[in-house]
Amino acid sequence: MADESFLTDDFLRQLINVGEVDILVGLPTHNNAKTVGPIIHTIRSGILRGFPRARAVIVNADGGSRDGTPELVTGISIDDLRPASNLRALRTLHSISTRYASSPASGVALRTILAAAELLRAKACVVLSPESANIEPEWLSKLLHPIYDDGFDLVTPTYRRHRFEGLLITNLLYPMTRALYGLRIREAYSPEFGFSGRLGSQFLGQNIWSDGTHGAGVELRFTLAALAGRYLVCQSFLGEKERIERSAADLVPAVRQIVGTLFSALESGFPVWSAVAGSQTPPTNGAEHGVLLEPLRVNRKRLRDMFSTGVAELETVFQSILSPSTLVELQRIARLGEEEFHYPAELWVRTVYEFAASYQKSVISRDHIIQALAPLFRGRAFTFLMENRNASGDEVENNIEALCLEFERLKPYLLQLWKSRE
Amino acid sequence: MPLNRDVLWYKDAIIYQVHVRTFHDSNGDGIGDFRGLEEKLDYIQELGVSAIWLMPFFPSPLRDDGYDIADYSAVHSSYGTLEDFRKFLGSAHDRGIRVIIEMVLNHTSDQHPWFQESRSSLNNPRRDWYVWSDTDTRYKGTRIIFLDTETSNWAWDPISKSFYWHRFFSHQPDLNYDNPAVREQMWNVMKFWLEMGVDAFRLDAVPYLVEREGTNCENLPETHAVLKELRRKLDEEFPGRMLLAEANQWPADLRPYFGDGDEFHMAFHFPLMPRMFMGLKLEDRKPITEILQQTPEIPPSCQWCLFLRNHDELTLEMVTDAERDYMYDTYAESKTMRLNLGIRRRLAPLLDNDRRRIEVMNGMLMSLPGTPIVYYGDEIGMGDNINLGDRNGVRTPMQWDGGTNGGFSTAVPERLCAPLIQDPVYGYPAVNVLRQNASEHSLLNWMRSIIAVRSSTAVFGRGSIEFLYPANHRILAYVRRLGDEAVLVINNLSSTAQAVELDLRRYKGNILIEMSGKNMFPRVGDQPYLLTMGPYQFYWFRLRRI
Repeated sequence: MADESFLTDDFLRQLINVGEVDILVGLPTHNNAKTVGPIIHTIRSGILRGFPRARAVIVNADGGSRDGTPELVTGISIDDLRPASNLRALRTLHSISTRYASSPASGVALRTILAAAELLRAKACVVLSPESANIEPEWLSKLLHPIYDDGFDLVTPTYRRHRFEGLLITNLLYPMTRALYGLRIREAYSPEFGFSGRLGSQFLGQNIWSDGTHGAGVELRFTLAALAGRYLVCQSFLGEKERIERSAADLVPAVRQIVGTLFSALESGFPVWSAVAGSQTPPTNGAEHGVLLEPLRVNRKRLRDMFSTGVAELETVFQSILSPSTLVELQRIARLGEEEFHYPAELWVRTVYEFAASYQKSVISRDHIIQALAPLFRGRAFTFLMENRNASGDEVENNIEALCLEFERLKPYLLQLWKSRE
Repeated sequence: MPLNRDVLWYKDAIIYQVHVRTFHDSNGDGIGDFRGLEEKLDYIQELGVSAIWLMPFFPSPLRDDGYDIADYSAVHSSYGTLEDFRKFLGSAHDRGIRVIIEMVLNHTSDQHPWFQESRSSLNNPRRDWYVWSDTDTRYKGTRIIFLDTETSNWAWDPISKSFYWHRFFSHQPDLNYDNPAVREQMWNVMKFWLEMGVDAFRLDAVPYLVEREGTNCENLPETHAVLKELRRKLDEEFPGRMLLAEANQWPADLRPYFGDGDEFHMAFHFPLMPRMFMGLKLEDRKPITEILQQTPEIPPSCQWCLFLRNHDELTLEMVTDAERDYMYDTYAESKTMRLNLGIRRRLAPLLDNDRRRIEVMNGMLMSLPGTPIVYYGDEIGMGDNINLGDRNGVRTPMQWDGGTNGGFSTAVPERLCAPLIQDPVYGYPAVNVLRQNASEHSLLNWMRSIIAVRSSTAVFGRGSIEFLYPANHRILAYVRRLGDEAVLVINNLSSTAQAVELDLRRYKGNILIEMSGKNMFPRVGDQPYLLTMGPYQFYWFRLRRI
């Protein structure tokens, strides 16, 4: 049930006017006026093309924009006072907005959207990013039709990514999620996904909203909840994922969000993931994924240096997290020169699993555990870059697959660590 | 009750559409007739309507239910005599009920003597009364209306060995309005009935009177000239009589048929009707407000004619392809329910016999700007028979009681002009006037009540309309105003209860008085006026400042 104090009276009034819907499009925003214009027009076009007869609403959860973003979103409503000039619409299309805070928080935004979906009894919902510059009207169909027509509960996207884009996903999130839950979900953490009303309500009802984190990584938590709940999941190919330039400083928050969320979900998901062996590819609409190969400048030396420095400086921390054999091996690697450096898949998987088990044991502060993984990930990323610097798309994919299989093969090791935590 | 002498009587009218053939049979031959209709005038009067529109009753081979006329100045023998008609007309007038008859200007039956003469020889004086051609390639840009039966607008005549033009069935040749003799003759026909006392004509298929190469042969200036000439003569010789246009066109294309108040008095608003059904199914007012926004202003003396159903299919010509598909899928799932570009069903089956939906649709019919038409039988919720061909499924005999032949006729059932509806839900044992008369809460008595409320004020027939556009799109709300009088109409198009906030600040200080029960509702203040509406509920509130 939606918390009655959570939604403003004005937003409730807007929801009353919208009434029951078939389709809900959630759009979290914060000062997105520069990018949101084309996106909302694409959303509207996607609804009218893909679901011309459906009762639909666009729900904007805004984190306190000062650039007029909410006004842009609500301005694309189609009603008897605002007919769409070049679009034939059978029905009214509401586009409503609520401001949930003076600062953005993805968890609060998603919670707002989920609450709206529950109150409007939406059958199929989609959350889209206000920064997806390459969004196409077909995205709406791809993310919603499996739910609206085929009874799926969650549709995650797949993308064509640059081979070196999203290394934390390809080297940790994807293979570990796959090993845990037995489903090859390529993008478990995406700003774009579709979900059923029943999954949304189930997630809304979970006791996760008051942890003070403002819901960082909540989209991943949502996917993991679907997997742990054995909901029907499929994937839809959305095309090329636009590359976002990131600095080295972005890694720690990303690790916190992704790895922290993944590890924290292990406890509640244990009954499910502990019983899973192997993995299967979920139903996928369109290509399963794709790899872009154009040259990309990466400061590999810095990655290796930060790995070596981290292993040296965090030795005492690692001693409480890692097994002696893993730590010794990491210290050996840290001393290798650039040409000899190699962080093998098996060692990387053992490292991750030992971190996960330590996280559960809370041997030290959980946040410190997560942060301590960042320099080790840089070492793994260095190896991945070296292994794939001249690889074809298929070879990159084969290497990722080999890593995934290693995660699956060593899953008994995780279970063993887990059982020994008491 | 004498006739209202106001020359704008049609603006306040409520019209009841009747087919003599299927209304009541007085002589037991299985076919309705004028004496039978006259016998039922009390019923029509009690319903509260002020005009009757009769479908064609002229001599005809009846290959198009009388719209194929073989003699314009007589009554089909099955329906009685000219004297019977005259008597019926007088009786209707005695009850304050006006009579509108059909006049099919565009074409005759191929059995009409004029056509027989015309085809008989190239030199016949009436040869030029119809549109003849040596080829079937003229007027190529003209659409075919009856797509299900016709492949061309030209038909070969083996007698005169040439092609003749027909916009409807091939047995209905079009008259040639470029011929002054035809124009004169058709005015004489109209004059014949006007002199008898007929109050108005529904002029059938008016956009198609004149043909011109390189056009779509519809709505041509030459056609308007013909119609204006008829109107001028009508006003000169028969002031207070009325012309109603049947032109299935977009509102903007219909506007010229009103001219400057010098062509038609009234015209059907065809595009509104399917959108009312669409709005109800979508639970969204948008289709209705959209088409009314596109409806141009008409001269003060003119009026739109509104209807939910009539003797034809629920026409879907004036909708987009997507809208048509939606209408078919939601109102005519079975292909047998479809005909041409439309749906051949009656009101009650279209609305799943849901009394609430029937009421809200009639509520809109009675309160939107225009003169409403009630199709016979719809006031008691009659069903249809989609197993009958063409549009005959919605032209079955009126169901008067649960006895033999539903009280329509004493003939043996095999002799009836059309079979009665007999299914358990809509059949005459279940749905009939006698039974509904006896029930205070029957649809019939509700219809009488809503008609009485509508007739209690001129605001619905003559007032302006202002839409309120509440944020809840399931609510269609408007204010009708005439002078100092204002009526607030609120319709819930949804199958579920709705809350709506209305911006009535303009009417601050007014008390709302519900027009049916006369009960007061709270005074309008500065805040949005909050109402809760039950499923498909509607209110008519008189706004009163006391």
